[in-house]
Amino acid sequence: MDMLSETLLVTLLVIWVLCCVLILFERRIYRNIIYFGIFSLIASLCYLLLGAPDVAMAEAGISVFATIFFIVCIEKSYSRQGGAVREKSESMRRGRWIIKIAVPLVFSAGLFALFVRFMPDIPVNTYLKDQFLARFMTDVGGYNAVTAILLGYRVYDTLFEALILVVSVVAVAHMSWAEELSVPDGRHSEIENSNMAVFTMRIICPIILIFGAYLILNGHVAAGGGFLGGVAISTFFICRYYIYGIYDMPVKKVMRMEELVFIYFTLMAVLFVTLIGANIYLPSDFAEVYQHLYLIIMNTLIGLKVACGFFIIFYRYVTVERIEGELPAEEGGSQA
Amino acid sequence: MLTFFVIVPVLIAVFLFVFSTNKAARVLAIIIQSLFVLATFWLFLQSRHTEFITYVGSYDDVLGIILRTSNTSAVFILLTSVIFLAVSIYSYNEEGVRTFWFLLFILEAVLVGLFLTRDLFNIFVLVEVGTVVVTILIMYYRGRRQMFTGMVYLMLNIVAMQFYLFGIGYIYMLTGAFDVAHVADALAYIDREALVLPYALIMTGMAFKCAIIPLHSFVPKVRLYPAAPSAVVAILSGVQIKTNVYLFLQFHQVFDTFSAQGFFLAVGIITSAIGVFMAMCQTDIKMILAYHTVSQVGLIIIGLFAGTEYSFLGGLFHVISHGVFKTALFLTAGIIFHAYGTRDVYKIRGVMRRMPIVGAVTVAAVLGITGAPFFIGSISKYFISADVHWLVEWSVIIISLGTIISFTKYAGMLFGKPDQDLIGDKPKPDTWRLVPAMALGAMCLLGGVFGQPLVNFLFVNTATIDIMGYAQKALIFFVSVAVGYGIYKYIIAGNKLLKRIGDLDLGFKSACASMGAFFGLIIIMVGVL
Amino acid sequence: MIGALDIFAVALFFISFFGLITSRNIIKTIIFILTMQTSVIMFWLFIGSRTGTIPPIIDVGDIAYMYNLPAYADPLPQALMLTTIIIGICVVAINIIMLNTLFRKYKTTEWSNMAKLARKDHIEKY
Repeated sequence: MDMLSETLLVTLLVIWVLCCVLILFERRIYRNIIYFGIFSLIASLCYLLLGAPDVAMAEAGISVFATIFFIVCIEKSYSRQGGAVREKSESMRRGRWIIKIAVPLVFSAGLFALFVRFMPDIPVNTYLKDQFLARFMTDVGGYNAVTAILLGYRVYDTLFEALILVVSVVAVAHMSWAEELSVPDGRHSEIENSNMAVFTMRIICPIILIFGAYLILNGHVAAGGGFLGGVAISTFFICRYYIYGIYDMPVKKVMRMEELVFIYFTLMAVLFVTLIGANIYLPSDFAEVYQHLYLIIMNTLIGLKVACGFFIIFYRYVTVERIEGELPAEEGGSQA
Repeated sequence: MLTFFVIVPVLIAVFLFVFSTNKAARVLAIIIQSLFVLATFWLFLQSRHTEFITYVGSYDDVLGIILRTSNTSAVFILLTSVIFLAVSIYSYNEEGVRTFWFLLFILEAVLVGLFLTRDLFNIFVLVEVGTVVVTILIMYYRGRRQMFTGMVYLMLNIVAMQFYLFGIGYIYMLTGAFDVAHVADALAYIDREALVLPYALIMTGMAFKCAIIPLHSFVPKVRLYPAAPSAVVAILSGVQIKTNVYLFLQFHQVFDTFSAQGFFLAVGIITSAIGVFMAMCQTDIKMILAYHTVSQVGLIIIGLFAGTEYSFLGGLFHVISHGVFKTALFLTAGIIFHAYGTRDVYKIRGVMRRMPIVGAVTVAAVLGITGAPFFIGSISKYFISADVHWLVEWSVIIISLGTIISFTKYAGMLFGKPDQDLIGDKPKPDTWRLVPAMALGAMCLLGGVFGQPLVNFLFVNTATIDIMGYAQKALIFFVSVAVGYGIYKYIIAGNKLLKRIGDLDLGFKSACASMGAFFGLIIIMVGVL
Repeated sequence: MIGALDIFAVALFFISFFGLITSRNIIKTIIFILTMQTSVIMFWLFIGSRTGTIPPIIDVGDIAYMYNLPAYADPLPQALMLTTIIIGICVVAINIIMLNTLFRKYKTTEWSNMAKLARKDHIEKY
């Protein structure tokens, strides 16, 4: 790493930490959310400087979703309380702040000091790194070591990662206040009437879709892969929502597709993990084709899976969660 | 090979997710689950003497993920599959099948996976999946009263896992490996000073997960128990918490340069005592059982850290016996709640007269948990307190006394005359629910009668039960029953103050702070002292 | 030099911890959970880039890369952190949905108010 990027990195990190301190002191929640967006962006830039483009892209894409979730969450209280959600400022009795602020501060600082005191001062063990970098091309194939690890060496982890996405889609539907999935009459987005925004979105939309497809299909050669491509494609849905509202979102189809994709993915992973194995003995010309085919198929399945999953979660947030409505009456709790 | 033990439940889950409403599909799932039990039994037989190792994806050495069984983990996998079979039969008629069955089998895959895996990061992923699944299952009936507690539970678990993730980051930095065996090898060459931080971080995360007292993690979780489906609670208390104990033990063995044994022994005793005390304060039947889970986990930790060979064996066997009797208790509690429509232990009366089978199973399970002679609990308690320090032995006796006191209250609902207003025309329990409960009740008795051969068969050991020692324990049991009944009658019954204590709650912030305090405490204890 | 960067991640970890034990608003607490997670991710990537910061993506046909291995960043932490990020957002989505449902019921996002109301609700109905 050269001098310039090192300086840049340190500067960014200082701003990064300051951003978090800012969140601590700011009481208005919507400002906190904006600060969090900045925080994520800076983190993403730092990842890029640290040589992790895949993680940087994932962080950037994910922070969009996190921001939308937060905004949907505060929206109702925002409108109700006339513009500002503040933490209620309790009248602090004298001496109260010692318990509320000073003791936690001393406590955290003490833990920090203990932590720093025992930070190990030992060079990093690079055994695994060298092994992975030296062998991934022959073992798994492709040119991107991160994708090779995700889909080859640690495909077992990736299986559970896909699983948690399925489970969280179920959870989001289950924990929500409303039983039904879709809203009867479509809801307009706020910027639908702004010509400029819609025009811009219309231009961006296909580009995002192509970009997502590119990330998925080239995941084994360049930075990218199933997860990033999936996230990119689901941001396509966000743009689409802002152009057209939610009139013709094919939710039922997407849900069905998500299940099917997960089944295919599981079967594929099982087939790969248990039966075939990565280092299958094939003639060397054929082996590369086989490996690339495997990587592309897996990336596509994961990409579809992630896109569907995030679409469903996003859809839930922007439709059902935004409706003003009362909770249905509490059930009797007679089951057990 | 071993991957199948994780993949098969996932496939069952996905299968049920697609063909959910069909009753034939559920029968098929139960049949597959029974076959799965046979498979785990085969696995147990195979791994009694040799270790099974699977390299997932057949990458050699440390590159891929390694699954491995030992004798202990194979026994726990057997327990897991048996309890899941019981629970899946029990909830055959469960409503809203689709997500319930899906999540149930996903949870099975996760738990089996946790017993099999030896990969530090894989443990993280599995624990996160498990947390999410448990959060949904525990609030399956959408009780919004419990949702606040559920949210606190979820957030606390995320924070705890951040500590763990930080810790394995250091492990990776120091050793360049993820497999537990390789890490243990590599740690031997590393300066003790450098290991303090990863040890403290990982132990904070893991101690939080297995409900050890200073972290109060059990409070939000326990508060969720009453409204959750009985089947789910049985799994959580019978198996899920044991995975965390198992991981805790495993990490303790990895870092054997630190002798924090005394510390964790003390923690176990405190956990157990507080759990028992809180259980005495409850009036809700599921709540009583839930707090007893805390105290029994404390007892397991006492056994594992007491330092003698027999007590370690007792701790391991108590995992099995607790799984059996606690599942039986929760399943019967579910049936009783169904038949009476209330969970108040003072209102339910005459279970014996109304449902003799359920009553008999409850009696067997209660005798099991209190450690009555010839029941399964007595064997494990005998081993835990065999030739340990007298202080530990006495604390076990006092904890048993507390257990007896609180189960005197619990057993009160067996007798008397059922209240006709309460019962109304509520249906009798169906056969699907009775069969697994009966099987587990029978296991409580059989496991006690054939205690010694069972322990030796399961854990490949040659432990013997000294008849005189066992008789002495039996005598102590009967004396404690007499004392406990007296204490219950004159102090506990209907005490208002105790009920107020029982309603104690702990917020997110204080639980978080106690997590930090535990972290600091371990660092100071291991690094400074 | 890069080894000293760890201090940033650790500092952020404990700032977030301070935020967790002091913040009164639940949304803010969730934000601090996310920042805590980001700090751990940053720490992992610091580990991965101690020896080199070239992204671990090899140019097609580059045979000589084998002689330059220390200059590349470690791919393993990157793969693991990708997994962590996805898991984190899934869990946070569930968390916010729960908060949203609770908000509809109790009309507050403050810890103290919500705990009070939930507790009252719990004792009354149960």
